[in-house]
Amino acid sequence: MMAGLAIVWSQRDLVLSGFYNTVLLTLACLAISLPLGVLGAVFLLEAPNRLRRICAAFVDLLRCVPFLLLAYVVYYGLPELGLRFEAWGAGLITLVIYNTAYLIEIFRSAGMVLPREELEAARAFGLTTPLIYRRIVLPQIALSAAPVVGNQVIVMIKDSALLMIITVQELTFAANFLSTNYFTPFAPFAVAMLLYWSLCLIVELVVGRLIRLRRSRHG
Amino acid sequence: MTLAAFLTLITGALTTAALSFSGIAMGVPLGLVLALVRWLRVPLLSAVVAVYVSLVRATPIVTFALFIFFVLPSFGIELAPVPAAILTLTLNTAAFNCEIWRGALEIFPRDQIEAARAHGMTTPLLFRRIILPQLWRSSIGPLTSEMTILLKGTPAVAVIGVVEITRAASRIGAETYRPLPPFLTAAVIYTLLIVVIVAGQRLVERRIARLYGYAV
Amino acid sequence: MDDQTLPAVSASRICKQFNGIEILRDVSLEVQTSETVCVIGPSGSGKSTFLRCLNWLEVPDSGAVRIGGRPFGVVPLSGGGTRPMSKTELAAARTRISMVFQHFALWPHLTVLGNVVEAPIHVLKRPRAEALEEGRRLLDRVGLGHKADVFPHTLSGGQKQRVAISRALAMRPEVLLFDEPTSALDPEMVGEVLAVIRDLAAEGMTMIVVTHEMGFAREAADRIVFIDGGQIIEVGEPEAFFERPATERARRFIARYMK
Ligand SMILES: Nc1ncnc2c1ncn2[C@@H]1O[C@H](COP(=O)(O)OP(=O)(O)O)[C@@H](O)[C@H]1O
Ligand SMILES: [Mg+2]
Repeated sequence: MMAGLAIVWSQRDLVLSGFYNTVLLTLACLAISLPLGVLGAVFLLEAPNRLRRICAAFVDLLRCVPFLLLAYVVYYGLPELGLRFEAWGAGLITLVIYNTAYLIEIFRSAGMVLPREELEAARAFGLTTPLIYRRIVLPQIALSAAPVVGNQVIVMIKDSALLMIITVQELTFAANFLSTNYFTPFAPFAVAMLLYWSLCLIVELVVGRLIRLRRSRHG
Repeated sequence: MTLAAFLTLITGALTTAALSFSGIAMGVPLGLVLALVRWLRVPLLSAVVAVYVSLVRATPIVTFALFIFFVLPSFGIELAPVPAAILTLTLNTAAFNCEIWRGALEIFPRDQIEAARAHGMTTPLLFRRIILPQLWRSSIGPLTSEMTILLKGTPAVAVIGVVEITRAASRIGAETYRPLPPFLTAAVIYTLLIVVIVAGQRLVERRIARLYGYAV
Repeated sequence: MDDQTLPAVSASRICKQFNGIEILRDVSLEVQTSETVCVIGPSGSGKSTFLRCLNWLEVPDSGAVRIGGRPFGVVPLSGGGTRPMSKTELAAARTRISMVFQHFALWPHLTVLGNVVEAPIHVLKRPRAEALEEGRRLLDRVGLGHKADVFPHTLSGGQKQRVAISRALAMRPEVLLFDEPTSALDPEMVGEVLAVIRDLAAEGMTMIVVTHEMGFAREAADRIVFIDGGQIIEVGEPEAFFERPATERARRFIARYMK
């Protein structure tokens, strides 16, 4: 086991680059899917009925499909339609599509529970719909949905590990690579698990901060 | 897609269903045992369970599957892919179920527990006769969600060579050079499986509500 | 000493702290067999804590409890001194003293009859048929025989509390404790519950009743115990206590409640 750790240490650049890819994929996905999720939720809350139902069904369907299957569709399936991506790009696209579906649902249900009176009061003061969303709805959703979004971020980090199967060189890919090439499975996977763990603990820490911020603001 | 391909997918679906079912059948009770260890604050063991749950909840199933499949042999335990997959799924879902059971235990009405103690019940009797019958009813929603999450997590075990729906679909796609039809069929099968689970939950919940009049 | 003369309940010098705050200070009380004692006092004065110390739902910091002359919660050692009861011993001891709670604390997954026979069958190991028969009789007695097979959520508060009383009686306890049995009830349901307790008093059940119903206490109790600030301030016959309280604190408390 010590020998295994020594190998992981000697190959730390590989592990770190895998870790870096995991973090980068997560952050890039968040940067794209958070705004998309908000837009999607607003759309689902405001769109005309029929269109809304079609979109809701699509979002629900996406949430029934395993992440890996979606990754296969993007990486192996879309070329059939003439859309071809590198593994990394396909991985990011999969992460974004999959997460946006969940985030839309999260933001939509957070928006549903806002008190009606508050919105009516805003309208009574002559605020336009975009302004109401920007000034009243979104700031509240951002705080109240924080714990659920945090959970979703953790799910996303873990989903990204599946991208190793379509050869994205993220953390689990690196661990597996070390394990098969140096015949020492324990240390690489243990280190990978610890790194995932610390990522999750960081997310939980941030969420904890946000919850405290919300308490201090809204009681 | 040919009939043979479709049959391959159905076989994969059965594998997925069997893997998920085994994981659930063992992971739900195991999660309860872990939750009890924490609820009863068993010295030392309780801390071990807390760390285990936190670590496993943070570990991707695919990483965990690789860990179990490749590491156990160095402890002298050789597992074929399917048992290794079932072990992975069980240990994974048990960690999540532990938190579900524990949450339900923590909010179990204190006054009912006190009434039981005042009527001379010991802890095992209290648990068996008063808490457990209500606990599973109030946990059924979150437990079902976890079941669907587990079902959607099963493709991860493809990495250790188990052929379930997703793996079967990608094989068919590779052989026919037309991957989209098998993938879409697979998506439909997953959706059906999840619909079945959720319908089962609704059914049980409705029965409970009709009988005992409390919403779960 | 003759068994007949032993008090049914004897609490001596009970002390209890929560988080370093003294809630009960040297509380001593003896209750004779067939006696009904009503405990009154301002809220937060420690009435519930005292009651819960009697069946070890709270473990007193010091002091002793005896039920029917036998030590409760501890086991005397042959060399003198005591050791705490094991969990099993404590559970067995608790079957001799039963309790009715403010918020009923019925078990919602069991029918009304199921609630009543649960402990007799599974704790006391009475034959099922016998327990069921007695359960139905007890429910009849509180006027709820026709509700035996429904679930508690369909009952009114007053009915729930009457079921809880049947459940406690089904243990055939030596002593019955009530912690504000009518405080959670709508006013129109208070009477039906008090009537049941009054009947029990008339039949010679040994009871300690924490209550804010002064009228009931005055007419049903053999003795009134007034607790304030974690101490027993005054004990007396109802008539004397309510008409001529000996202490200023009791006088002020009564004046406030009688208005
Ligand atoms: N488990 C507990 N932990 C901390 N404080 C408690 C606990 N139980 C009761 N207390 C405190 O003890 C005091 C007396 O409570 P209680 O016996 O319920 O009074 P009463 O029944 O007379 O209203 C109160 O100040 C209450 O806050
Ligand atoms: Mg009280």
